[in-house]
Amino acid sequence: MALSWRAAALAGLGVVPVLLVPVYAVVIGWALLVLLVVVVDLALASSPRDVVVRRVVPASVRLTQPARSTLVVTNEGHRRLRAVVRDAWQPSAGATDNRHTVSLPGGESVRLVTPLLPTRRGDRLADRVTVRAFGPMRLAARQKSADVPGRLRVLPEFASRRHLPSRLARLREMDGRTAVQIRGAGTEFDSLREYVIGDDVRSIDWRATARRSEVVVRTWRPERDRRVLIVLDTSRTSAARIGDLPRIDASIEAALLLSALASHAGDRVDLIAHDRRVRAQVAGMSGPRLMPSLAETLAPVEPALVETDWPAAITAIRQRLSQRALVVLLTTLDPAAVGSGLLPAVGPLAHDHTVVLASVADPEVAALARRRASASEVYDAAAAERTEIERAAVLMRLQRRGVEVVDALPEDLAPRLADTYLALKAAGRL
Amino acid sequence: MSGSAAGSSALGDPAVRESVRIGGEPPATVAARRWRRWRLPVIVAGLLAVSVMFAALIQPDLSSEPLAVDNPGDDGARAVAQVLGRQGVHITATHDLGTAVARATAGTTLAVVTTSALDGAALVELARTEADLVVIDADDDALRALTDHALINTWEQTGASRDAGCQDPDAVAAGTVSGAAYSVLALDERATVCFGASTPKVGAYAVTTQNGRTVRVLADSTVLVNSHVAEAGNAALALRALGKHEQLTWFLPRPASYDQVQGAGGENMGAFFPPGAGPVLAWLGLVLVVVAVWRGRALGRVVTEPLPVTVRAAETTVGRARLYRRARSRGHAAASLRAAAARRTAARLGLPRSADAPAIITALAAATGRGTDEVADLLYGPPPTDDVALRALARALDQLESEVHRT
Repeated sequence: MALSWRAAALAGLGVVPVLLVPVYAVVIGWALLVLLVVVVDLALASSPRDVVVRRVVPASVRLTQPARSTLVVTNEGHRRLRAVVRDAWQPSAGATDNRHTVSLPGGESVRLVTPLLPTRRGDRLADRVTVRAFGPMRLAARQKSADVPGRLRVLPEFASRRHLPSRLARLREMDGRTAVQIRGAGTEFDSLREYVIGDDVRSIDWRATARRSEVVVRTWRPERDRRVLIVLDTSRTSAARIGDLPRIDASIEAALLLSALASHAGDRVDLIAHDRRVRAQVAGMSGPRLMPSLAETLAPVEPALVETDWPAAITAIRQRLSQRALVVLLTTLDPAAVGSGLLPAVGPLAHDHTVVLASVADPEVAALARRRASASEVYDAAAAERTEIERAAVLMRLQRRGVEVVDALPEDLAPRLADTYLALKAAGRL
Repeated sequence: MSGSAAGSSALGDPAVRESVRIGGEPPATVAARRWRRWRLPVIVAGLLAVSVMFAALIQPDLSSEPLAVDNPGDDGARAVAQVLGRQGVHITATHDLGTAVARATAGTTLAVVTTSALDGAALVELARTEADLVVIDADDDALRALTDHALINTWEQTGASRDAGCQDPDAVAAGTVSGAAYSVLALDERATVCFGASTPKVGAYAVTTQNGRTVRVLADSTVLVNSHVAEAGNAALALRALGKHEQLTWFLPRPASYDQVQGAGGENMGAFFPPGAGPVLAWLGLVLVVVAVWRGRALGRVVTEPLPVTVRAAETTVGRARLYRRARSRGHAAASLRAAAARRTAARLGLPRSADAPAIITALAAATGRGTDEVADLLYGPPPTDDVALRALARALDQLESEVHRT
């Protein structure tokens, strides 16, 4: 049961008779009148049980992009349904305008559209649908709620895709496919062509030049069809919040940009998300199927509050790799976590494969280290410097084991990792 | 581009789900469902009502009014009333003057308990009755009216107990009473005064006649309240004085305003509120209830957000700073600052990471133009002794770094 403002107004109208005849009997009489009208209105209201609801939700949407949740409401009763229908979603689904006023004759249907603007990655779930069916006087209503399941999968935003065009341009330069034919970087022999001014004289092929009447240079291109395996660490360190987002979101952005770049470069990209076990994986996808599959797989990945089992992770990596490959570990340079788990295990892996460790740095620590305003801030600065020293020590130990380390702020990590990939490719280290 | 391709294909197929009936089942089963839902409250309410009625049956009406015959507290008179009842005296308690006067026929006892609430007219009516009177805690007006000016109130400093000291058989039978502080003074020879401390004219109990019937005056009700009735001869005096006849009317007058206060609050408040304020307040209450129901019913439940546990990444660093601060660990703090400064300046000067302290000092002294001792003291000197020295050290290190940066 629910009342509307009209019921309150009806009760308020009682001021007229009460002021005219100020006795208790009038008040009691008015209260009974209000009660009677409310009961009559309730009795004439159509039952929410006669309402059948069907929900239509898009399967997935990219973060920060709008979606629509549609409710098909059918009145199976005989009375007209005058109702307010609430399509409830969890707050991060961003269902702002979710209360709909309905006036529906018996046996008819209506579509109610609730705009959604998700604010978090992952599966956003619908809550109950509530129907408040008013009587013909709209004084009182019968109210019922029902679970109408609905799920909107919110894909990672992939904000780092704005860095993709510039990196692809550099990839084309390396490939030697730019308009100005320059000597491509890389180690794989591509072709011979005529020398133009500006070419590196070291790339002149003297044997071919001798056979022809003009100077000929060799062009090179990077290797293709190399393997890239991205390992996303979903352990407790990935749950830590940097700025407004957990560390794992910055890692996912970096993984998406690297995958897009590597697949354009003709490499095969696989991904696993791992903490104590493999949480999610993408394998054997190529071409246009890769990015949707990655987004779909990474969308519901959430940090788990456990420590990464690095030996198990490295076993999982080795099982997926037969030839030399680029292994990208998206984790953190947390001294305790790296020192106890990753350091002992990463040495042999770095021997067989090219290993890049990408870590999300915390701007807050850097800000703390610069504080001098009071004695207590100097203590903050000292603690921040100690953290930095420990990170530097871990970084050095990793580099000594042959691991490339990319340590960058959340918004810089994706482009920096892409640059590292391009540098490795140019150097022929893939 | 791969990104947009991912987006468009993902947005393609909408997930259509099963239809759901609001409320779960068709209207046919609603009645049974409603009964199932209301069954428990109805049963609980019924049990509650039955138990309240049962409790009311087995529990006699008790009051907390002083000197009431149904008050079992320290200031009540239930003990005396129960003993009298067991001895065959039928007690009728009333607050109403009319009832008291109507029942006060010859051959009965009328106990007038406290008189401050009675006005002159009421006293005249009481004086005209024919029942034997027992006047308890009377004021001077009542004493004058009910004893024909034979007695008046007085105060007498006494010890704990008093002896009878008179010829009245009831007083003699009681022997001594205790607890009585107030007394009456006989103005002439018509009254017999008992339980006096000094003179025979002053005492806690007096017997006289008026209008042809016996009037017994008990100056202090302490004698018969539950807490004192068992002491000395109090019980004997009270029971003998009150138990002369089989019918006893226990008249406990109430102040004139009492009934109005209890009955219709509005009339008593009339002094503060304009007429008709009561109904208007009641109407406001009605509006309040309706508004409360209107605003109080939510359109469905509150939906909560299942948040992942996200800790600020800098939390461990801040925690370590707090530890330094609490332990006043200036040595550790200074060592961290110096190590960081040495590491950065050494990197800037192109020294290898393995460079030892003398090498760094020499290079820094050369780069900044400072003395080696000064640089050595700054980077490897003794730890600061207080927070001021620590801040000074931090600033000096910043200065050193900025000088290296300049070169």
